[in-house]
Amino acid sequence: MTAIARMTVLHLRTAMPYRNQILLAFVAVVVIMANRPTVLVPALALLVVPSIAGYPFLAADKAGLDTLYAVLPAPRRAVLLGYYAWALAGFLVTAAVGTAFTLVYTRFESTALTGHTILLDLSLAWAMFAVNIAIQFPLLIRYGYSRISVWGTTLPIALAVMAVVRLHVSLASLQDRAALLIPMGIAVFAASAALAPVFAGHRRMRAPAGTPPAGTVAPAGR
Amino acid sequence: MSADLAFALRGVSTSLGRFALHDVSFALPTGYVMGLIGANGAGKTTTIRSLLGMYPISSGEIELLGHPVPGPVALREDVGVVLDHTFLVGDWRLTEVERALRPFYRRWDRTRYRDLLDEFGLHQRARVKELSRGMAMKLMIAVALSHHARLLVFDEPTSGLDPVARDELVGIVGDFLIDEGHSVLFSTHITSDLERIGDYVTLIHGGRIVRTGTKDEILDGYRIVRGGPDDLTDLAGIELIGARRTPAGVQALVDTEDAGLLGDRVMVEAPTLEEIAVHVGAPARHRPRSLPPTTSGSIA
Amino acid sequence: MVRVVLSNSSGVPLYQQVKEQIGAGILSGELPDGSALPSVRALARDLRISIITTTRAYAELSAEGFIATVPGKGAFVLPLNTALVREQLLRQAEEGLLTALDAARLAGVGRDELVAMLDGLIEADRTDTEPGRATSGTPR
Repeated sequence: MTAIARMTVLHLRTAMPYRNQILLAFVAVVVIMANRPTVLVPALALLVVPSIAGYPFLAADKAGLDTLYAVLPAPRRAVLLGYYAWALAGFLVTAAVGTAFTLVYTRFESTALTGHTILLDLSLAWAMFAVNIAIQFPLLIRYGYSRISVWGTTLPIALAVMAVVRLHVSLASLQDRAALLIPMGIAVFAASAALAPVFAGHRRMRAPAGTPPAGTVAPAGR
Repeated sequence: MSADLAFALRGVSTSLGRFALHDVSFALPTGYVMGLIGANGAGKTTTIRSLLGMYPISSGEIELLGHPVPGPVALREDVGVVLDHTFLVGDWRLTEVERALRPFYRRWDRTRYRDLLDEFGLHQRARVKELSRGMAMKLMIAVALSHHARLLVFDEPTSGLDPVARDELVGIVGDFLIDEGHSVLFSTHITSDLERIGDYVTLIHGGRIVRTGTKDEILDGYRIVRGGPDDLTDLAGIELIGARRTPAGVQALVDTEDAGLLGDRVMVEAPTLEEIAVHVGAPARHRPRSLPPTTSGSIA
Repeated sequence: MVRVVLSNSSGVPLYQQVKEQIGAGILSGELPDGSALPSVRALARDLRISIITTTRAYAELSAEGFIATVPGKGAFVLPLNTALVREQLLRQAEEGLLTALDAARLAGVGRDELVAMLDGLIEADRTDTEPGRATSGTPR
């Protein structure tokens, strides 16, 4: 458990150089969504959190961190679950800050914001985040960032969600399904995390982008 | 507690990747430095990655610091890895590097890290991406020494380094080996670094071990032969290793045992490690039909 | 302290150079009885040669009675009047005499002339030697 925590912190440190990009994306979405505050948090979950989650993969590609993770005394499982834990942390922080902004916005508009709406927002955001990561991470783990890139998976999902949203015009129609969104999200997230070692096993270990690959890596250590 | 052997590979073969290994066997007793010498593509990196458990093997066994590989993750605390590229985030400052890596090592020595950065002339506020090759190598060494590694594994540490940096590395290795529980594996195609300080040498070519043993055994086992352009022809059963024939003359490496059979017209001398590496590593098409590789050292 | 200066081009193996120079230092009294020698590893590091080389040099010096190695404590110089060192010096003397004999034969010099030559050298050596200067065995 502590190995996973250590790895999560390490992933944070690898993403730190991108904090400006993260902040910029966050501010952009908050500004754009100013007139639709009730979908702010879901929008953040769809547009900002995946890139936050993806930065450790980008950093790993650029710097050849595969080797670092193979050298450090930490099991591969911790590396992989650390990615998921980092994504989760990113979601929780973004959702919390996003909810705060939502509250501020609705206060200005004097729109009634019920606890129920907030819960719905968060459930929807959670579900979208969970599905996004559940699909994206195995691909990132298997192929690496430069071959996938965050937009490679976020974009199709964003389009799919937008298609769904157009069909079910308002959030209200989701109310009765809200209860399902949270466990569904947990299920897909956990399943993806459980399957991650399978994808990692087929991964080709890479030196920093630009150097020729040395070959396939075995799950290093137990 | 140190094992008798720093590491041992026995009959290791790999089947994946471009640089496959075939029946690789060699070992290093604890407390010494071994040079793994071979041309680019000979299989040095694959061997090292297999040794460190980063690469799957299809047959054979590997032992690292007394443990079979793949072994317990904690084994990595005792191994320091220095490659020809850093595997750290470029934007990290050297202080950040310590903060990032320290939690993973039980024996991380903060004072040692700071002292080593000082000794190596590395500024704590410098970023990893700003370091020159030589400085980057010293950083990786500082990291390895700070977590009190017992085995240092270098993969091509000196390629791209100026002679001053290479000389500094020799000094660092010598210091490291003052402790007889410490060992060093040093893979390189630049043999001059090992000519003097190498205790053991392993020659690798085409994924196979050509010869392994103490440096003296290796040097004593070959002779360099030079002659005129028409010499060294019609030699039944004598292998001329990496023979180079030009209008000016011929030069080849031979087994010391064969040297006496070459006649008086040619000049026979003890080779340098460099000459051995050059001739053993010569491309296959220049080599006559080869005899089976010999091992002059003992494999535990 | 130990003074070992190595030559890359002399053709003499490094271990032998180390052994001969330390041996010479001991025989000349520069390294007196009981003085500590650097460990094989420290010497290897300082001279930038392999540990196996220094180990071999020390092993041969030890076998010939010049030094003793104590595991964990390093090596130190033995007193010069041990039987092995004496044997070594006797062997050197004998080799020197054989060389002289070969040369004498070629020059046609007979036994009596040779013995006279030896007596002359011994006499010259005695008068050259400063009073009180120690020969083998006496500490400085």
